Amino acid sequence: MSTALDTDVRPEDRFISAFEVNHGQALNGTNASIAQQREDAIERFSALGIPTNSLEAWKYTDISKIIDRPYALPLAPEVPSVDPSDIAPFTIDDMDAHRVVLVNGRVDPSLSDLGDLPSGVVVSSLTQAGDAHPDIVEAHYGQYADFEDEALTALNTAFVQDGAFVYVPSGTVVEKPIFFLHVTAGQEDLFLQPRHLFVVEDGAIARIVEAQHSLTDAHTFTNTVTETFVGERANLEHYLVQDEGPNASQVHTRAGQQKDDSVYSTNTVTFSGEVVRNNANIEADGSFCESNLYGLCIGKEDMHVDNHTQMNHVQPDCNSNELYKHVLNDESTAVFNGKVLVTRGSQRIDAYQQNDTIVLTHDANIYTKPELEIYADDVVCSHGATTGQVDEEGVFYLRSRGLSERRARILMLQAFCDEVLSEYKIDALRNHITEKIRQRFANYFS
Amino acid sequence: MSTSETEYLKGKASEDYKHGFYTDIETEKAPKGLTEDVVRYISHRKDEPEWLLNWRLKAFRHVRDRIDSGETIDWAHLDYEAPKFDEISYFSAPKDKASYDSLDDVPDEILETFERLGIPLEEQKALTGVAVDAVMDSVSVATTFKEKLKEKGVIFKSFGEAARDHPEIVREYMGTVVPYTDNLYAALNSAVFSDGSFVYVPEGVTCPMELSTYFRINEAGTGQFERTLIVAEPGAYVSYLEGCTAPMRKENQLHAAVVELIAHEDAEIKYSTIQNWYPGDPDTGEGGVYNLVTKRGLCKGDNSKISWTQLETGSAVTQKYPSVILAGDDSVGEFYSVAFTKGHQQADTGTKMQHIGKNTKSTIISKGISADVADNSYRGQVKVSKNADNARNFSQCDSMLLGPDCGAHTYPYIESNNPTAQIEHEATTSKVGDDQMFYCHQRGLGEEEALKLIVNGFCQEVLQELPMEFAVEAKELLDIELEGSVG
Amino acid sequence: MALLEIENLHVGVEGEDIHILKGVDLTLDTGDLHAIMGPNGSGKSTLASVIAGREEYEVLDGEIRYDGDDLLELEPEERAEEGIFLAFQYPVELPGVSMTNFLKEAVNAVREARGQDELSSAEFLQQMRERADMMGLDADLTKRSVNEGFSGGEKKRNEIFQLAMLEPRLAILDETDSGLDIDALKNVADGVNKLRDEDRGFLVITHYERILQYIVPDRIHVMMDGKVVRSGDKDLAQQLEEHGYEWIREEAAAAAA
Repeated sequence: MSTALDTDVRPEDRFISAFEVNHGQALNGTNASIAQQREDAIERFSALGIPTNSLEAWKYTDISKIIDRPYALPLAPEVPSVDPSDIAPFTIDDMDAHRVVLVNGRVDPSLSDLGDLPSGVVVSSLTQAGDAHPDIVEAHYGQYADFEDEALTALNTAFVQDGAFVYVPSGTVVEKPIFFLHVTAGQEDLFLQPRHLFVVEDGAIARIVEAQHSLTDAHTFTNTVTETFVGERANLEHYLVQDEGPNASQVHTRAGQQKDDSVYSTNTVTFSGEVVRNNANIEADGSFCESNLYGLCIGKEDMHVDNHTQMNHVQPDCNSNELYKHVLNDESTAVFNGKVLVTRGSQRIDAYQQNDTIVLTHDANIYTKPELEIYADDVVCSHGATTGQVDEEGVFYLRSRGLSERRARILMLQAFCDEVLSEYKIDALRNHITEKIRQRFANYFS
Repeated sequence: MSTSETEYLKGKASEDYKHGFYTDIETEKAPKGLTEDVVRYISHRKDEPEWLLNWRLKAFRHVRDRIDSGETIDWAHLDYEAPKFDEISYFSAPKDKASYDSLDDVPDEILETFERLGIPLEEQKALTGVAVDAVMDSVSVATTFKEKLKEKGVIFKSFGEAARDHPEIVREYMGTVVPYTDNLYAALNSAVFSDGSFVYVPEGVTCPMELSTYFRINEAGTGQFERTLIVAEPGAYVSYLEGCTAPMRKENQLHAAVVELIAHEDAEIKYSTIQNWYPGDPDTGEGGVYNLVTKRGLCKGDNSKISWTQLETGSAVTQKYPSVILAGDDSVGEFYSVAFTKGHQQADTGTKMQHIGKNTKSTIISKGISADVADNSYRGQVKVSKNADNARNFSQCDSMLLGPDCGAHTYPYIESNNPTAQIEHEATTSKVGDDQMFYCHQRGLGEEEALKLIVNGFCQEVLQELPMEFAVEAKELLDIELEGSVG
Repeated sequence: MALLEIENLHVGVEGEDIHILKGVDLTLDTGDLHAIMGPNGSGKSTLASVIAGREEYEVLDGEIRYDGDDLLELEPEERAEEGIFLAFQYPVELPGVSMTNFLKEAVNAVREARGQDELSSAEFLQQMRERADMMGLDADLTKRSVNEGFSGGEKKRNEIFQLAMLEPRLAILDETDSGLDIDALKNVADGVNKLRDEDRGFLVITHYERILQYIVPDRIHVMMDGKVVRSGDKDLAQQLEEHGYEWIREEAAAAAA
């Protein structure tokens, strides 16, 4: 069932022919509307083509070369056998969570530990959800991740197979975090397209943690699409930890929609990857919404991380906060492209956006493009961006208090990251990330 | 915004464009269209040397290819129909004369035109301390105070004259900062440019007066394609200002200028613009000037400085990014801008600061004001190259919205390839606060006075950069713009 | 002679079903200084705002006469021209608008309305320097943007300085003493005392008795729940300081019952 991608033809065509070869047998697909959507999506993908630098949204990130490798494109990926000891380094044991492990985008029950979920809450694979809760899946699937202008979202939609699914019914509180550990494994160069759907209904409260790791040295390209729905007065915290190693590339698209009086927070941290492109899109489709977008990128070697955010204010009386920070070492490159859109009539919006970068070496690069697009007059919108080095005044102050210069610099870097880390509401997760960052910084300046 | 304020502003007539008249003079226009013959005709009428004709022809072949290949510029936040390049007449000059030797030769109608615009060309009437080059359509009408400037060795004349009189300087610099291949409109300009100003300030000389060029589009169906070149030798200083107006016309007129500045070691060029081209009909958006201009300065020498200040109130569409290439070590680039759009106006404007030398510094202060159904975008790039150690940039971009139907956008691009760079960018979008208006009312100020005061305050950081002689004019222009600007 | 007469004033919030002032009666004679005291939410600041003409408020009933004429007819700037000055509780920042420009426009707008000639630049600057000096205001403040980057104390002193420049006939001080340190408090009080004269009336709105130790009022009114519930001479302030507002509330409740 696996189609190796032929590299002699246009990369788009390889995907299109793979789609045709597997036509009809793809997906859990008996659902007519999803099947139709797949047809529309492949057509759209064909028309859009793989994005190049000439597109404004991809100005600083070129995935065309990386996507042009002879990946295997498994439609129903075989799940290689993974031993619990393989994933032990990634399980964040201090975090008491409902844990689900996905290997190559498929839920592996033997590695998962769901524990006791509150009544009515569903945590499963998307395929299972399609069987067991078709009404919920149909109501939300494909509603938020628009593929009209996004070729990779179209591609994911065309090939959609499986992924993670969460449903929190109205008024339900899930106290423990729901933790999805995504690992890639196997010897083959893989092209994966997981699709996740998280539905948090009115008044429900939940925390979802996702971590991405790799058990293989093979090249992988993961094209993830996650759709999120946050109902009225609901609260969803959504964390993403990316650390797949130097051979893994990905385009990770999250599209969230929230309703009146809800709070939706995303927090992304990237530790490694070859080329990582994150699209975090939130539409505040209700009044008095609060939306938060936080991110950290700890750049090393020649990794390239592009955080692209789109905050759409389409209803009045909402506020949004956005803070992304980068610490760039070696030859790493970071891109931040944050856009705040306030549509006509969306009055009394308070939108704030900030991107700060510390560049440590001559070979590291930062491209930042914070954008405001405002069509309503009664708003307070601002953005800021800084790039620079560690504050020398601060270093001097610490040294005058007896710290070595190296320690002083490391401390200053940690302090720089703290502003984002303080937004982690799960202590065990915050400690875990803080420790990872501490380890990374430990050999800096030596 | 309170109701009474809105009513007040609505009540104000909005077709207040003061400079919308047309002067009836007999002219000779080049046939419509962009052909090699037209380029040769322009060069011939202007009595140009061979090398300049050849330069034009090279540019012509380049731009013809680009136009024929269907090139468009679609990345800006602008919505307008691309100019029909083959329906424009690229040259318009008073019959018989493509240049004037002295003021005595200039027809009275033209002198009166400039008098009406507040630009008297007889030196005794002129603003002291300001030398003016007046350009109507394709021709430089007169340049004042030429003799006085000559004493100091400052050359200030029309581009055409300069090409004939100082070919060695013009040849050395023209096209070096904005090559004809730079962009579609720069390429077009390079092929068909009409007139413009040339300034040369010799080593160590501080230009004794403000230099100013006043551009006027008069004829229908023409465009304005002027070209300005300013060279400041080591240690020189010059302050230059351009002003622009055009008659009210139903069709769109194209203005595609190129401005090149070169500052050598320790030199400083201060370039100010008050742009008030006809903005089109405020209710229908019909007509108005397309102001698509390429302006760039090169801080060539160490310790040089180039400063752009602009007040953009006119034009149906404005797209310009006055930029500075900071090549010399310790060089400084500045950009101060107020862009006011109302009615159906659209502006996509900003700057590019390219840090190449070491210890270079740039400052960007941009104030955008948008009213009615206008759209106003700031687009700016700060780029720090690999070897540009210790580059510093500060950018502040503020937008003010007057009314619920307009738009204000900010698109900064920050690219840093050097760890020692310090770049700070801030942007805000807001409206005039009800509490601010009430505070002013409580102190006895009416709607109009209060609004003018607050908007002028919003622009103050930029307006204070204008040469004193023009700051008053700028403030008045802004006041006129504000009358009837909110619906 | 009565400068300001307020009769049975009922005020709500424009477009909302909120009733703040519920029948205020108050008369201020020219040359007098009255203090208005009362706990939070009693309607003191609303009263000041309504006199100055803030548009968020809607007069539901009653009237305000100024110099015998209906005040409620007038726009805020017309009231200013007629000589009403409100020292704001939270003075507003006007970025980029220099104090000098702002005051010059304001002074000349008011002068024009009163049939006086515009001041020349020289006269204006002279007057500004003198009055800034009189108010103990740092002359540098007049070069800055209106209230921008001013400390709390500077903002309040700046309000009194503007009062001195605009020479109103009715000055309303809305919690001008709140948030001030003792030096600034004396400074503001000193300024107000210098500006008291036969042709000018003052309404001093305050939470605390402390400023009244420096500015001695001719009369004190206590507001509660949108009404003036008690009026008295300066000793009333002392009683309030010692016993709080509760006893007045009880008295008022007893009287109502």
